[in-house]
Amino acid sequence: MIKSTTRRGFLRGSGALAAAGWTAVAGGWVLRPGWGNAAEGAIKVGVATDITGAIAPSGNSDWQTAQLAAKQINDAGGILGRPIELFLEDTASDPGVAVGNVRRLIQQSQVDVVFGGITSAMREAIKNPITQRGKTLYIYPQLYEGQECTPHLFCTGPTPAQQCARLLPYLIKEKGFKRFAMPSANYIWPQLLNKWARKVIEENGAEVVMEEYFPLDQLEYSATISKIMSEGVDHIFNTVIPPGLQAFQKQLYEAGYYEKGGQTCVYFDENSVNYVAARELEGCYSCLDMFHTISDPFTQKLIGEYNAMWPDSPYKFTAGTAATGMYRGIKLYEQAVIATNGDLARDAVSEAMNSAAIAEGPGGPAKVIAGTGHVEMNMYIAQSKGGVWEIISEETAVAPQECA
Amino acid sequence: MHSFHKRIFTKSPGGERLDDAVKLVFDVMAFASIMVLVVSGLAVIASLMGIFNLAHGEFVLLGAYTVYLFREWGLPIWLGMMVAPFVVGLFGAVIERGVIRRLYSQPIIAMLATYAIGLIVREIVRGLIGGQYYAVAEPIDGSWSVGGLNFSIWRTVIIVSTALVMLGAWLFLTRTSIGLQIRGALENPALARASGVSTTKLYALTFALGASLAGLAGALMVPLFSLSADLGVRFLVQAFLSVMLGGVGSFEGPLLGAAMIGSMVPGFQWLREIPGVSAAVSPVVAEVLVFVAALVIVKFRPNGLINSGRR
Repeated sequence: MIKSTTRRGFLRGSGALAAAGWTAVAGGWVLRPGWGNAAEGAIKVGVATDITGAIAPSGNSDWQTAQLAAKQINDAGGILGRPIELFLEDTASDPGVAVGNVRRLIQQSQVDVVFGGITSAMREAIKNPITQRGKTLYIYPQLYEGQECTPHLFCTGPTPAQQCARLLPYLIKEKGFKRFAMPSANYIWPQLLNKWARKVIEENGAEVVMEEYFPLDQLEYSATISKIMSEGVDHIFNTVIPPGLQAFQKQLYEAGYYEKGGQTCVYFDENSVNYVAARELEGCYSCLDMFHTISDPFTQKLIGEYNAMWPDSPYKFTAGTAATGMYRGIKLYEQAVIATNGDLARDAVSEAMNSAAIAEGPGGPAKVIAGTGHVEMNMYIAQSKGGVWEIISEETAVAPQECA
Repeated sequence: MHSFHKRIFTKSPGGERLDDAVKLVFDVMAFASIMVLVVSGLAVIASLMGIFNLAHGEFVLLGAYTVYLFREWGLPIWLGMMVAPFVVGLFGAVIERGVIRRLYSQPIIAMLATYAIGLIVREIVRGLIGGQYYAVAEPIDGSWSVGGLNFSIWRTVIIVSTALVMLGAWLFLTRTSIGLQIRGALENPALARASGVSTTKLYALTFALGASLAGLAGALMVPLFSLSADLGVRFLVQAFLSVMLGGVGSFEGPLLGAAMIGSMVPGFQWLREIPGVSAAVSPVVAEVLVFVAALVIVKFRPNGLINSGRR
């Protein structure tokens, strides 16, 4: 009896300790500016992202980006005189863990808006706890497969149309690629993106000769690569993700594919050269809303400020990690709150988000397309040369073509 | 599938089919070698000491991490690969002395302890590399070719190293007096002690040997899979399946099991090249088939393929 009471007491104690530790690190993290005449109190911004687990590198980029955006807004006097207070919850790359943590953001911290989620599995898991049960505005920052039309949910990263509508015709018409292969990780993003891409490829007179889905951590790809080589594939539309990606790229390189054909991977960015050898990236195409090599002065200034705030951080400010979507989302939210004249009620801000626009942002200006929950933005086609993304072309104000 | 069919039967019947077969054999050998290398350390510890080391994946990870550190320090990668088995072997010896030694009479507790050690190592490495993936270049890259077919030099190095290391380990265990003492101590520890053999020293040596084999596996494979905290864990389930398939109690049994699992993993993917089967065998199904096949074999050979030695 005594023993069991002690054990329970110990467990409760350690739980409280963990909670206290966590609160000190995250929940209580406030960026309160010195002028502090915040009569109505701070605007509570929730960030639910993957600080730990497999997606942690992206999640940490997003969290650092949120802190940069909050600091900029607070240093400039807040939104209508009210500072932003950030509340972090770790979604731990695990939708099961995430739901409970997100609920804490809404019920305990009572945030006015939630930013976050990186994978589509995560978005699917947390969107209902936020928008329906939580009756809170949700902003999702990552590039994704489209078809997310939930009310009060805004997607601030690029859609398949933005990433592929111009890239694929360019590859077919101007580069002459005719036979596409689609090696893919077996989950929702590759499945829906491939469906979209296949349509565009076929409309432009090329063909998809193979489409295969692998377990996410598959170790060996010789059969697939042998087929790529023997079927005369000249372009690979690659949606394999880490940790399966590295073995795939290595075997593709060893098979001598790079002398025969090209490759596209639309989530590759400045981080990719860390985990895939530069020679296995050589010539690879990507299309994103920002690359470090674009000339836009605001983007260059932003990258500089991020690097100054987080010197030597392994987590860079890139498009593939959803950091650009995070920054864009926070700045669009700021505009929406200004438009409601400080009313933070979910429906009012949601309505104002429909006409929110920013003249400057990562990659250029951005504008919410009313009634769609998606954002018009600049898109850049780039090719990896010697580990650097060389910009091939830029298109301004690309429409998301979702939920219209 | 249609065009593959055409290629085999109408274009050039003999030549290309032979090419495919040679490529298949090389790819299968390369992957099987990696599995054998991973399993060898696990087999040494499981068969000779009766402990299922759930930290084995992290010993593999530490081997890979050592190579990564050498690169970060600006030292040659090949040197890191040479040093990794010793670093991990030393780490294994420390773990044996500090933890495992106290738990020889309680194998289940020992297994849980190794799980905890593995978790700690994995999460520390994850913290050190910031949860990122890092590509590490192979010391010798490129390929060699015979009759128009290209073979990766690094995979060839892995095949040859595995063969040499396995031969060396086998000779050590069967032909040297220390090997004899190890086997004797495992057959009958009490009698071995009575005969003046220090079983504690032998167990420490065996555990360190198993750890260093894991370190070598991690060091040699990191160029193929990149460094990440979960590098070793990805092999752990298949490695245990290999031990189960081969049978605990001998050194050769699990290696044979590893060679079979290592052949089935890429081999079953090639089933899709058979016309008519391709639609049914997706990559996901092929992965599951490996486990089904292994379980069927274990059903008919419950003690493994080779069940000599202990018990």
